[in-house]
Amino acid sequence: MTEARSQTLWRRFLEHRLAVASALLLALFALLALAAPLVEASMGIDARQVDLFNRFAAPDAQHPLGTDEAGRDLLLRLLYGGQVSLFVGLVTALASAAIGTAIGLAAGYHGGRLDRFLMRFTDGVIALPLLPLLIILAAVDLHKLPLPADWVRSESVNLYRIVVIIALVGWTTVARLVRGATLSARTREYVRAAQALGAEPLRIMLRHILPNIASPIVVATTLSAGAIILLESVLSFLGLGIQPPVPSWGNMLTNAQELIYASPRLATYPGLLIFLTVIAFNLLGDGLQDALDPRARATRLR
Amino acid sequence: MVRTRLAIALLALLPLSSPAPAQQKDDLIIGVSQFPAALHPDLESHVVQSLILGMTQRPFTAYDPDWKLICMLCTELPDRAKGTAREWTTPDGKPGWAIDYAIDPRAKWGDGTPITTRDVQFVYDVGRNPDAGANNQEMYRTFEKLEVKDERKFTVYTNKRECDYQRLGDFELVPAHLEKPIYQQGAKEYRNRTSYQTQPTNPGLWFGPYVVTKIEPGATIVLERNPNWWGKPAAFRRIIFRVVENTAALEANLLSGAIDYIAGEDGLTLDQALAFEKRNGDRFNVVYKPGLIYEHIDLFLENPLLADVRVRQALLMGIDREAISAKLFEGKQPVAQGGVNPLDVVYDPKAPSYPFDARRAAALLDAAGFKPGADGIRRNAAGQPLSLDLMTTAGNRVRELVETVIQSDLKKIGVDIKIKNEPAQVFFGQTMRERKFNAMGMFAWSSSPKNIPYTTLHSSMIPTAANNWSGQNYTGFKNAEMDTVLERVRVECADDVQAQLWSRIQSLYAEELPVLPLYFRTNSYVLPKQLKGVRPTGHQNPSTLWVEDWRWQ
Amino acid sequence: MSRFLSTRLVESLAVLALMSFIIYGLIGLMPGDPIDVMIASNPKLTAADAKVLRAIYGLDRPIIDRYLEWLGASLRGDFGYSRSFHRPVFDILGPRLLNTVLLLGSSSLLAILIAIPLGMWAALRAHGLFDEAINLLCFAGVSVPSFWLALVLILVFAVGLGWLPAGGMGPVDGGGLLAHLRYMILPVTSLTIASLASFTRFMRASMLDALRQDYVRTARAKGASPQRVVLGHALRNAMLPVVTIIALDFGALFSGALVTETMFAYLGMGKMIYDAIIGNDFNLALVGLLFATLVVLVGNFFADVGYVALDPRVSFRSLEEQR
Repeated sequence: MTEARSQTLWRRFLEHRLAVASALLLALFALLALAAPLVEASMGIDARQVDLFNRFAAPDAQHPLGTDEAGRDLLLRLLYGGQVSLFVGLVTALASAAIGTAIGLAAGYHGGRLDRFLMRFTDGVIALPLLPLLIILAAVDLHKLPLPADWVRSESVNLYRIVVIIALVGWTTVARLVRGATLSARTREYVRAAQALGAEPLRIMLRHILPNIASPIVVATTLSAGAIILLESVLSFLGLGIQPPVPSWGNMLTNAQELIYASPRLATYPGLLIFLTVIAFNLLGDGLQDALDPRARATRLR
Repeated sequence: MVRTRLAIALLALLPLSSPAPAQQKDDLIIGVSQFPAALHPDLESHVVQSLILGMTQRPFTAYDPDWKLICMLCTELPDRAKGTAREWTTPDGKPGWAIDYAIDPRAKWGDGTPITTRDVQFVYDVGRNPDAGANNQEMYRTFEKLEVKDERKFTVYTNKRECDYQRLGDFELVPAHLEKPIYQQGAKEYRNRTSYQTQPTNPGLWFGPYVVTKIEPGATIVLERNPNWWGKPAAFRRIIFRVVENTAALEANLLSGAIDYIAGEDGLTLDQALAFEKRNGDRFNVVYKPGLIYEHIDLFLENPLLADVRVRQALLMGIDREAISAKLFEGKQPVAQGGVNPLDVVYDPKAPSYPFDARRAAALLDAAGFKPGADGIRRNAAGQPLSLDLMTTAGNRVRELVETVIQSDLKKIGVDIKIKNEPAQVFFGQTMRERKFNAMGMFAWSSSPKNIPYTTLHSSMIPTAANNWSGQNYTGFKNAEMDTVLERVRVECADDVQAQLWSRIQSLYAEELPVLPLYFRTNSYVLPKQLKGVRPTGHQNPSTLWVEDWRWQ
Repeated sequence: MSRFLSTRLVESLAVLALMSFIIYGLIGLMPGDPIDVMIASNPKLTAADAKVLRAIYGLDRPIIDRYLEWLGASLRGDFGYSRSFHRPVFDILGPRLLNTVLLLGSSSLLAILIAIPLGMWAALRAHGLFDEAINLLCFAGVSVPSFWLALVLILVFAVGLGWLPAGGMGPVDGGGLLAHLRYMILPVTSLTIASLASFTRFMRASMLDALRQDYVRTARAKGASPQRVVLGHALRNAMLPVVTIIALDFGALFSGALVTETMFAYLGMGKMIYDAIIGNDFNLALVGLLFATLVVLVGNFFADVGYVALDPRVSFRSLEEQR
């Protein structure tokens, strides 16, 4: 990418005020979430400390946002929940994008039977019901897999399950996008030239095609990070999301809905954070799309 | 089609602010959170089904709200002293009972056909046929034969001389005049072909104060007065069961007046009810009734960390159950000292109990060889940390909350708890049943008064691959004395012997602690102030069996 | 054209057959069956009882046998009984299907009716304040967790204002059409908000695209009035991709309205399939999921056909190559 082009991109992106604001907001959330242990130390409270004598406490000097139904500090829970939700959103989106890109590239570049097979497979995965899959994968005994025992016993292992499950079914959009883009890139001169020079197919795909189809992947990944955070909250609603006591905005919101009359605060904050994060990811994706490929909005189908 | 959709869509835009039609006060709308898939009383059992059957049928015997066994469809409880229950021995020498019952002479099906021993014989035949798959096989296996004396009188011969012979509560009648022809077409298909599925609004299927008149699968069940009811007439013209699965939405329905009453047997969670009462105490009464649902933690006794009874005692003393009960449940869910509810006549208050005492818990752990390490977690001589997995059903908010309290409490005495929850289906279907948990499993048993904990405590009831995972002794508890006491308490019926055996069961349980008792669950009945006469029972017989006493004020 | 259609038909049938096997397998792999859960709550149920019950429900045989038996019977048109309802599968499925079509139909239609003028307007004032505002609102609609939105709607309109019922399918006494419609307003609104965004954004994008096309420029150059240009030419062409996206969306929504249905106690397919899976109700889950898959495939198919039929620039041949 030339210096001039990247400057144009940057300028076009900056024109998108909402997208810039979103990027800043997300950066702020990420920073705050990462700083959770520091905040915890500076407040001198243990985020996991249950205090049954101080349930549903109103905000005060010690608990700036009050406490939850177990007397834990709400601010710290939200920060740690942010770590989990943002981690799940980003990592899963990246993993899906990686799988989707690999499959889309292979299908689009090779074409023919492989393409047909991969695309029908993609159709199948799109139609695959998520629910039984989740229940089955929740039952897989990780002790039987060659994984470190300490890691398997840790509470956060459930988080990786969610990442794996969503990534396993979430790659289809990117795969279709990449395949379409690869199909058209394949006929371009630079690819033809590389082929004529006898380059390896893998090298052509990675060195020549991938950089030229990066824009839709970046956009799709950004959009899907938001969608995944939303999906996690719905999975929590169904009891299949991140399992307490590991907090996520999704399970905090789900928990709070039964207590909505008793303590609306508990529902307002995680709800608002999910809303702001998802909308920010969406606006960011929108801005990126405009910047990277102003025509794409008009021609892209899905 | 498009045009109608358009019309619908356009109408949806209009703000229709006309209020709901004023509620007629001779109806009662009850909100429940699940729809009972089947209404046949002997083939399925479901908590909402039992609420509906309470209004539309009557069992022979039931426990009343004071936990006393009474006759509902029979005329008099069988009694050894009166000769209506006699000792009997089966042809192959097993001790059993011969028990006389008589059907209430006034009893009629909703279509006017009298209820007779013909119906009794039919239910007996269906229940005994394994192909029909009655849900209470255990009871039918204890029946040796049925002797019909006349239209109303019959004698049941059992092959077990157990002490609770008076009960015939699970033997629920269905009308032979409607069902027998269907059953005779094939026992295996009976469960799908029965009139309870194909024409549930046939009044001949019901004989309570109400009959079912309308069913919308998944949504509503409407009951209306039974013109052939022989007892005290019921007050409401109609009773409507409305299903709203999400309990937050259920509460909203109550507040918006779409339902009148949320039954405690299946409704709001306790802390939802507590919060509700605070805000809406002027319009609604909330009645809390502790029940026979026993929340506890099963310990995996083969785990070497749990092998020492002092560790188990320390765990129990380290959990501030009094605070859980007082703060989370506002004292409405009492701390359990064992599996027997204090409301039960066989409860022994003298059995050992373990009030919260973190210092003694720490001392016990010290004595058991677990010393605090640098990170605050205790380790044994071999350096193994005292770290235990606590599992329960995912998505149960109250259990998850209790788990975090336990985790936090035990951390203070140097025990590391890792919480690992699974969907109910996995937790019950695999983890507990096949004993795949490795330390602590939190769940509840529901039982009945004087329920003998044979299947959960007898050493022959430990599920293994060899016995095809039968039994519910998930902890792997093996105690010779407990085995003997459990066997004796089933058959030695003299009052003083019973009292002694029951008290031994409770003290053994408390001494050995294969299970950490937590609390007894409470059902919360949310009643509008004008609704009178609802008496929660707290056991398996639902309050709806006394629906004739309910009324609007 | 016919070659394209027949290939698609064969492929779709193959996907459907494969899906039936995968879904059956997936449900079969789930640990624990309904009998296990019964045991867990009822200590009196013995292993022998469980065995009898398993045999009655056919749960004791290997999964592949059960699948083949199911397949054979269903090819003869017998889809079996729902285990949890003890009714033939289509007795349960039929009304649910109707409800779902009604719910999705009205919410999709409503979304379209709002999205078209909104998207058009936004496109005509692209990058203006109004455009940005619509954009933001659209994103707001898709960024709220669905159960949260539903709960807020219930709290405001049913509990707070008391205008609308909090949930359910209709009044107990039947009532008229209008009475039933009141019950649909909140669920329809909640679904409309969710799908409005993508429709509007698509309408806007394809309108922008259409406005750039040569024939629009030509029409303008020829002096046609702006309204005529927009309504007569651009709109018609802009509709194509929108129709496509709606056809695709309908399929995806079909089993995806689960949360809305749960919150409003609305008896649709999403909830039915969910319950059937959780309750190990094989026949019902399977037929429900296959139906949903079928709708997805049909939606895909119509999207393609509609695209070809309406847009002279795309042929079936090119579509076949592109897919």
